[in-house]
Amino acid sequence: MASRYDRAITVFSPDGHLFQVEYAQEAVKKGSTAVGIRGTDIVVLGVEKKSVAKLQEERTMRKICALDDHVCMAFAGLTADARVIINRARVECQSYKLTVEDPVTIEYITRFIATLKQKYTQSNGRRPFGISALIVGFDYDGTPRLYQTDPSGTYHAWKAKAIGRNANTVQEFLEKNYTEDAIANDNEAIKLAIRALLEVVQSGGKNIELAIIRRNQPLKMFSAEEIELQVTEIEKEKEEAEKKKSKKTT
Amino acid sequence: SNMTFHGECVNQNPDKVALLLSFVSCVREVRLFRRQTKTSLEVSLLEKYPCSKFVIAIGNNAVAFLSSFVMNSGVWEEVGCARLWNEWCRTTDAVHLSPADAFCVFYHLKSNPSVLLCQCSCYVAEDQQYQWLEKVFGSCPRKNMQVTVLTCRHVTDYKTSESTSSLHSPFLKALKTENFKEPPCCSLLEQPNIVHDLPAAVLSYCQVWKIPAILYLCYTDVMKLDLITAGAFKPVLSSRSLKGLVKNIPQSTEILKKLMTTNEIQSNIYT
Repeated sequence: MASRYDRAITVFSPDGHLFQVEYAQEAVKKGSTAVGIRGTDIVVLGVEKKSVAKLQEERTMRKICALDDHVCMAFAGLTADARVIINRARVECQSYKLTVEDPVTIEYITRFIATLKQKYTQSNGRRPFGISALIVGFDYDGTPRLYQTDPSGTYHAWKAKAIGRNANTVQEFLEKNYTEDAIANDNEAIKLAIRALLEVVQSGGKNIELAIIRRNQPLKMFSAEEIELQVTEIEKEKEEAEKKKSKKTT
Repeated sequence: SNMTFHGECVNQNPDKVALLLSFVSCVREVRLFRRQTKTSLEVSLLEKYPCSKFVIAIGNNAVAFLSSFVMNSGVWEEVGCARLWNEWCRTTDAVHLSPADAFCVFYHLKSNPSVLLCQCSCYVAEDQQYQWLEKVFGSCPRKNMQVTVLTCRHVTDYKTSESTSSLHSPFLKALKTENFKEPPCCSLLEQPNIVHDLPAAVLSYCQVWKIPAILYLCYTDVMKLDLITAGAFKPVLSSRSLKGLVKNIPQSTEILKKLMTTNEIQSNIYT
């Protein structure tokens, strides 16, 4: 049945599916994993870096992008679609600031991106955007926010969310390990993001990129050394936990 | 040969067409030979190497799983290799095989030569599947052997009324022949239980010849070489066919991780 109703974006199937939109969700799974964590005083975005070719400039392959001084986003899916959405969102952030004299709330810019995505699911001759985005930041009242959008144009607020390849595995890890203790302080929230990514990243810390925003502070991208430090700490903690376990059983 | 041509062409140039036909059938031939001696196998593989257990891994994730868990737990000797070409792939001639290559190699366990293993990472086209079966199983196979096939399919192939985003992939499903009496290590594939390609050909063959066979199918949303997908085959390690063949599981997991890091560079379309 799918094959008769999946060629045009503007055609519903008899059982109510918009197959092109659902297929766009599959395109998201072809991108590498991204994870977002909302802490108490910090928001964290972690992504699996994709391996670059030898002659390629790594700097131009960023998965985490700032939309404004207080908002940033990570995406998974079609690179070119992401670039277009990011550009439009950046322009909207400035336009809003100039008009209203306030920085955008995270919910506003998420809604803008989601509305843009939804328009493309209802338009003839255009296809949906093949990306999911994780948008994080602090509103001007100091509340930390994490939102996720998907190709259909829906958006939701999350405490922790994973998108992209193997997102299911990471999301299950987050559901088990996201506790009030886990995000009690900033360092713990950062470690949770890295631990979640290590579940699925093939080659450990050197393929992870991390960005944080602290309240009233600009976006900070972690250097490779800082990430390695966190990974070493995590491995040490794991070893100690296993030693304790084996002691208990013997 | 499996080719047919329409009448007109044949009438005008019967000799040219006959030549073309024989050329094309040579090109699509599946040849089984020994790499060490570079000689073809005169009889089918199972006639030359009769076995009681035959484990076949089809696809790169299944191959990676067997490489890390089974092939590293014993000494395996190569007994044959299949060479073929089709529009999707050409088997490699390289001596050292990397996970990204296309190959189809057969091994047996040195300590117990009645255990046979097949690592098939190439795509065997529809018209080549019959040849592959004939060259591997032969035309009159023994019934007292057990065949286990491991392969992956994309989760969108799994027929369900749920949306694929609510399925927790990767997950394992089993499909077996009538003569396979043991309990499988995962749930059976529900109706409509349709499988495709070489795994389907092997199962059909085993069903016809009353050979006990089981296919473990991993539905995943990552078809390229992936740690989580290859690891999803772990429940199969407890089955009777693989028990005794696997010794060191933590070490095997490390070897699997290493196999993944030699992966090819990803395309720029998706980030």
